[in-house]
Amino acid sequence: MRKRQHSLLIWLALSPLMLVILFPFVVMFLTSIKPRSEVFTYPPRWLPSTLRWQNFIEMWQAVDFGTALGNSIVVSLGATVVVLVVGIPAAYALARFTFSAKRPFQQFLLVTQMLSPILLVLGLFHLVVSLGLVDNKYALIFVYAAFNVAFGVWMLQSYFGAIPVELEEAALIDGCNRRGAILRVFVPLAIPAIVVTAIFTFINSWNEFVVALTLLRSDENFTLPLRIFSLVGGRYTVEWQQVMAATLLATLPVAAVFTWLQRYLVRGMMMGAIK
Amino acid sequence: MKPRSLNLLPYLLISPGFLLALFIIGYPFLDLLRTSTHEVSRFGISLRFNGVENFAKVFADPLFRESLGRTLWWTGLIVGGTNLISLPLAMLLNQNFYGRGLARAIIMLPWSVSLTMSAIVWRWTLNAEYGMLNSLLQKLGIISSPIAWLARGELAFPIAILIGILVSIPFTTTVYLGGLSSLPEDIYEAARLEGASAFQQFLRLTFPLIRPFVNIAIVLNVIYVFNSFPIIWVLTEGGPADSTQILVTYLYKLAFRLGRIGEAAAVSLVMLLILFIFTFVYLKLQSKESEI
Repeated sequence: MRKRQHSLLIWLALSPLMLVILFPFVVMFLTSIKPRSEVFTYPPRWLPSTLRWQNFIEMWQAVDFGTALGNSIVVSLGATVVVLVVGIPAAYALARFTFSAKRPFQQFLLVTQMLSPILLVLGLFHLVVSLGLVDNKYALIFVYAAFNVAFGVWMLQSYFGAIPVELEEAALIDGCNRRGAILRVFVPLAIPAIVVTAIFTFINSWNEFVVALTLLRSDENFTLPLRIFSLVGGRYTVEWQQVMAATLLATLPVAAVFTWLQRYLVRGMMMGAIK
Repeated sequence: MKPRSLNLLPYLLISPGFLLALFIIGYPFLDLLRTSTHEVSRFGISLRFNGVENFAKVFADPLFRESLGRTLWWTGLIVGGTNLISLPLAMLLNQNFYGRGLARAIIMLPWSVSLTMSAIVWRWTLNAEYGMLNSLLQKLGIISSPIAWLARGELAFPIAILIGILVSIPFTTTVYLGGLSSLPEDIYEAARLEGASAFQQFLRLTFPLIRPFVNIAIVLNVIYVFNSFPIIWVLTEGGPADSTQILVTYLYKLAFRLGRIGEAAAVSLVMLLILFIFTFVYLKLQSKESEI
């Protein structure tokens, strides 16, 4: 009985913040299913008279949502693969070897974390221009990967360090060679860490804005955040019901996966931080 | 031969990641150093070395000083507000209560949404004519006529700060939850036996013990918020009449709207310097404190 009362009090204390958090989601959803005429009425009405799911179909065509979705998937997947390919070996080296460049390398990664894309955006633009890759979405893959390497290595290393080295040694004694020990013993244990790192790199790339805004020029190369921003920024008439439908579609899948994975992220970050 | 090759192995393993980051992050950095000390045409062509002229121009620009001041408010208020909300929030969420999983999921929700998308939704919510916020406030009788939230800097900027706090809460709360879950239960039992009040327990036990997490939350948030671009860019693009310009949006406008490339590079370097000094000084102060 006491716990019930206690729970009620906590929910009461949390409710103002929750309302503020949920408010924009409610607005997003309600706007996305309103007929256009009800979006632009004054005074605004909260509930739509009919649920107009066609907004999503109209939006898909008007916005060319599919192309932007495809671009976002290609860029985010590409960046994730690159981060894993360069990050797993680096994290393994940091977790398993002592070598004189270890500290300097970790400090280098820390510094790259502070050099955020927005501060370097002009230099990045010049780099991409000099390589002739302006408006090339594949160039984004490497830029995103580079800015996510530090975080990826940090996460992976903190998980890798928790895998007992004795298991690999035992495999070596049992007649495995080093590669066998890594593939048969280490990798299976490391898979959760790799999956978590992959998904967070994916989400980071999926949500990135300023680099895409700077490096991409034509609609057919835009990623989702940029495409949706282009429907709003510097326009006199904004089809808000379509914009909200697009935002909802671009946001929901990522939010679902994120909610599910969030606790693993915390664990990895904390292990990395405490060490 | 064998031990030597073993020694090379870690270097071989870290080199791809190192080279990728070095190239894509190092080259732009060097480019900024060069660009900031040259007169550069609109099209990015260096004309001549001009020493610190770009920096002098930037410091003489009143808009730079305004943006710098606004950036300090922006960073200070968001980081301060976020931490003041997040610590009690984490302590609530750390309790054992019905529906805790759901409560945590809702609080964490804004984290998964990109800042761009959040800002777009808020821009619509705050719309003067058709926006739902005005409609809600009018229905509740809090305001009598609609407010043009984003039409003036004095109103738009505080709103941007509130949105900044809202989207920073999930990450910060997560850090504190991690800290709280690492606290040993038995010291609290001992404190209760000694008759310590809840407030005393917080002041004497919880706060000192999660101090490292407070530091992580502050340093990382300062870096993130200082560099945060999408909220202001999507809401107002720094306008109206530059009244919500912070350094990142000022930098972007200089570089890609006004074509003042050399000055933009100078602003980037000044910002980097500010961040490095902050991080260095803060971490130094903290390590000194923990020695005492």
